[in-house]
Amino acid sequence: MITTLLEPFQFPFMVDAMIVGIAVGAVCSVLSCYLVLKGWSLMGDAISHAVLPGIVIAHAIGLPLALGAFASGLFCAVATGYIKANSRVKEDTVMGVVFTGLFAFGLVIFTKVKSDLHLDHILFGNILGLAPGDLRDTLIVAGFTLGVILFLRRDLLLYCFDPGHARTIGLSTAFLHYLLLSFLAVTIVVSLKAVGIILVIAMLVTPGCIAYLLTDRFNLMLLIAAASAMGSSFFGVYLSFFINASTGACIVLLQAAVFLAALVFAPKHGLWAARRQRRLVSTETPAKERGSF
Amino acid sequence: MNPVSTEMSVCVSDVTASYPNGNVALRAASFALEGGAICALVGVNGSGKSTLFKAIMGLLKPTAGTVTIAGRPVKAALKENLVAYVPQSEEVDWSFPVSVWDVVLMGRYGYMNFMRTPRAEDRRIAEESLVRVGMLEFRERQIGELSGGQRKRVFLARALAQRGRVILLDEPFTGVDVNTETAIIALLRELRAAGHIILVSTHNLGSVPEFCDHVVLINRTVLAAGPIAEVFTEENLQRTFGGALRHFRFDESTVQNHDGRAVTLLTDDERPLVFGKGGHVEYSKRAEHAEILKKRTEREGDD
Amino acid sequence: MIETLLTPLQYDYMLKAIFLSGVIGGVCAFLSCFITLKGWSLMGDALSHSVVPGVAVAYYAGWPFAAGAFVTGLLAAVGMGFVKANTRLREDAVIGVVFTAFFALGLLLISLYPSQVDLRSIVFGNILGISNPDIVQVLIISGVTLLVLGFKWRDLLLFCFDPNQARALGLNTTVLHFTLLTLLSATAVAALQTVGACLVVAMLVTPGATAYLLTDRFGKMIGIAMSMGVGSSIVGAYVSYFFDGSTGGCIVTLQSALFVAALVFAPKHGLIGQRARRRAAALGAGATEAAT
Repeated sequence: MITTLLEPFQFPFMVDAMIVGIAVGAVCSVLSCYLVLKGWSLMGDAISHAVLPGIVIAHAIGLPLALGAFASGLFCAVATGYIKANSRVKEDTVMGVVFTGLFAFGLVIFTKVKSDLHLDHILFGNILGLAPGDLRDTLIVAGFTLGVILFLRRDLLLYCFDPGHARTIGLSTAFLHYLLLSFLAVTIVVSLKAVGIILVIAMLVTPGCIAYLLTDRFNLMLLIAAASAMGSSFFGVYLSFFINASTGACIVLLQAAVFLAALVFAPKHGLWAARRQRRLVSTETPAKERGSF
Repeated sequence: MNPVSTEMSVCVSDVTASYPNGNVALRAASFALEGGAICALVGVNGSGKSTLFKAIMGLLKPTAGTVTIAGRPVKAALKENLVAYVPQSEEVDWSFPVSVWDVVLMGRYGYMNFMRTPRAEDRRIAEESLVRVGMLEFRERQIGELSGGQRKRVFLARALAQRGRVILLDEPFTGVDVNTETAIIALLRELRAAGHIILVSTHNLGSVPEFCDHVVLINRTVLAAGPIAEVFTEENLQRTFGGALRHFRFDESTVQNHDGRAVTLLTDDERPLVFGKGGHVEYSKRAEHAEILKKRTEREGDD
Repeated sequence: MIETLLTPLQYDYMLKAIFLSGVIGGVCAFLSCFITLKGWSLMGDALSHSVVPGVAVAYYAGWPFAAGAFVTGLLAAVGMGFVKANTRLREDAVIGVVFTAFFALGLLLISLYPSQVDLRSIVFGNILGISNPDIVQVLIISGVTLLVLGFKWRDLLLFCFDPNQARALGLNTTVLHFTLLTLLSATAVAALQTVGACLVVAMLVTPGATAYLLTDRFGKMIGIAMSMGVGSSIVGAYVSYFFDGSTGGCIVTLQSALFVAALVFAPKHGLIGQRARRRAAALGAGATEAAT
């Protein structure tokens, strides 16, 4: 029994996958708190799809894939911002137009440029087949990104909360804006190997949502998000070993399960609490609010 | 760090600003204020009030003209924490996971190090500011759990904590109870006495003469600016609001119980502004006015 | 030269693909006018990803793929509506959580029973290898959608523009809401066949957005969007013959190119037009001042 449970740890590729999964989960979850609060959840969707042409082109001309991915991801964000500011089309529509355009363009050049790139690996990740240097690269980039975000967490929070005030105390909101976008692009690039283009969206939204349901304090929100994401990554990888299923899918489904639990049982903002609150209100006449001011 | 001793001033000269689609929001706007003033920015929605605010806050770069604060360009003034801003309630996401204490500390960010770790000094000032608006006991509350008036006080406390010398308030009295309104006005008067410049954007005409000493009338440009007594006149307001105001005129006969002057009532459906023959009838003399009314009813009782 | 250009048309499967792409492109474009105005663009993206588990299950169970896809699509839409109504989360976050969960579920199913479904044909579409029963399904979906839109477009327009007014007039807005959602799911399923899950949203957004830049009249907007949808789908499918198969990529790239052209050159709402107007306003400033 115990030996079966410990079996996954005997394979180096499993241990590597767990480490990478946890690292990616940590970065994505911390960033997801900001995205959820800023209302940028679907920016992650857009940028993650938009990295495809960058990867294909970088591969074709022999540049590091991450560089190409970063460049085209950022291009998507900047183009969305520019078109939104200069036309009357709504932001979500602009986003949809831009990222699908880039993704389609990536597909076209992918089919035209014959290469040994695995489209499946880009789309769905290939965390169990990491190359020797991948573990190190992921840890370095993820660690660096996480460090900078945590270092600047108060400025970023202020930017999300009240950009006007951020401006009046002399912070550059344009700088913070692009910093956050760059973090997003970097994080997506880091996570591609683990979960792929499509499921990275879940990593960038779900942990933040879970934490937002559970707490009203930002620092706690960061911790809860990180814990749920890292836990899901670990158990997702572990579970996929036994059921022999897509690792990325397992990670994301575990996160979704945690989200569901939070949705129902969250002490203050959950469905149960809301129901209890409603019943309480309907049975008692509400105590008159003390207007001390 | 804060040049408390220096004389404060805000100078807006020939500012023109346009929307991205090419429409001009504000054209050649100019006015100037010296330290120790409460100034109302009055105009209808879409008159360019918030554009002017944004220009003073450095959120928007004018296509022409300049804004200077204490003789410095806006950017430099912001770096010195000279400008504080109290946002309109609708602009704030009240379910944001921050507490009252977090918000007030945000006012001190400009003085903190790169990581924004609060020092003892920052904590003391934040606490002081909360005490000043009477919100200290609420410091651990999440901001969404406060009433409309309390929310406004918290953001006012943030402006105090920032020690800004030019304070911008955007529609400070919407959704606020009368007690808070009075408390805010008292606080603004204290700040004026300390040499601050307070700019209040409002379309609530009735309260303007009560607590402001200067006024800037805006309709796509600055129509008139200066001391209340000179600028806040019936003709100027008609020009500012055009047909957007309700306009009543009562003859002496209609308002017999008043002190015998003809009265014009201008209102945008909030607190009405009442003009007598010799100018506006001031709310600031409420006590006096109540006395007159009381005497009058007594007299009528005698009849 | 001419001969090379005509080669694609000699193949039966190419003709079928071109015809079907045109039909789907037209239907999606019609719907896209409502979607862009309603602000549901990313809903289209979400639904197209959410249908994946349904497709997988339908294939195992031997149902028509559209039925399965349709069920999970609607399930996801209802789930999003429920979570949004009952929590303080923003709509975009809810959409993100729900559709990725559905997609992951689909991925999990497919990875558990690999041989049955071709994941790539779901994600990228496979119009060139579409089977006859699937063609029938797509045609039925398109026909029904066109009928509903054709008869009810005024109601739907009012619903998108001013739901309260629609309710005041005695229209049942809940029904309209779900009609639009259902149409969205249905067309997402049809478009899945042509361009695949990742690019469906383009078919459902780009034509509408392009037309919106070109006109201020809703009737004209539908006309422009549909001709653009049909045209770009036909040309895209045709061109894809020379690109070894990425039909979806070709169609959507073409649509995006048209959008960019409209963005720059649109007579009234284009970048060039706006810039000219801004300059005129700056120059005219002095003149109007002098006049008043």
